[in-house]
Amino acid sequence: MARPPISNDIRTLRFLAGEMTQAELGERIGLTRQTVAAIEAGKYSPSLEAAFRIARVFGKPLEEVFRWTGD
Amino acid sequence: MAFREKLAWVTLGAMLVAYAIYFSLLAATFDPAGPEGPQTVRMIVLFAAVTIVQAVVVAAASAVLAIRARREAQARPDERDRAIARRGAGFAYFVLMVGMIVVGVVLPFDGPRWRVVNAALLALVIAEAVRYILVIVSYRRGWHG
Repeated sequence: MARPPISNDIRTLRFLAGEMTQAELGERIGLTRQTVAAIEAGKYSPSLEAAFRIARVFGKPLEEVFRWTGD
Repeated sequence: MAFREKLAWVTLGAMLVAYAIYFSLLAATFDPAGPEGPQTVRMIVLFAAVTIVQAVVVAAASAVLAIRARREAQARPDERDRAIARRGAGFAYFVLMVGMIVVGVVLPFDGPRWRVVNAALLALVIAEAVRYILVIVSYRRGWHG
């Protein structure tokens, strides 16, 4: 399946947030560890709400977590 | 592998094995020229037996999976799980609809009752197989819905 033209820095942000695990991030935003892993790997595009929740956990604006990489 | 993906594998495998056995035995033993009554009873007994065994196998395997991944099994499906389930059900609906149109519109004009019933059952099995295959593919290769 084609990857969406969206990349993210969740892995880096988790590392900078005290090496937060995927499970911990998932618990804080109501997603499973597998879904967080799928988002990080670009295998799943989260809903807008989930994207905002992820950004809020790291205290960043949405565009610093997710980036449009298409044309 | 996600708990729900494992569950889909188990359900798909059990269903395919069960109905492969059912349709094989039916094809081997059903005599279209024979008396319909006793053969229909045999067909229903075979169907009931296969369905019960399938249900028991799936329930036992699901219990084992749930024990081995207790936290994940207790967690409610998240947005990705729900999106994948919707995608599988949506595709399966169209497969089932096509199957039922064939069964309901074409077969009654030239087929005996046992064939109509089993064609409908086959359509259900194919639709369910499509659903679980799409769920598995979506978990493995990703889903952007």
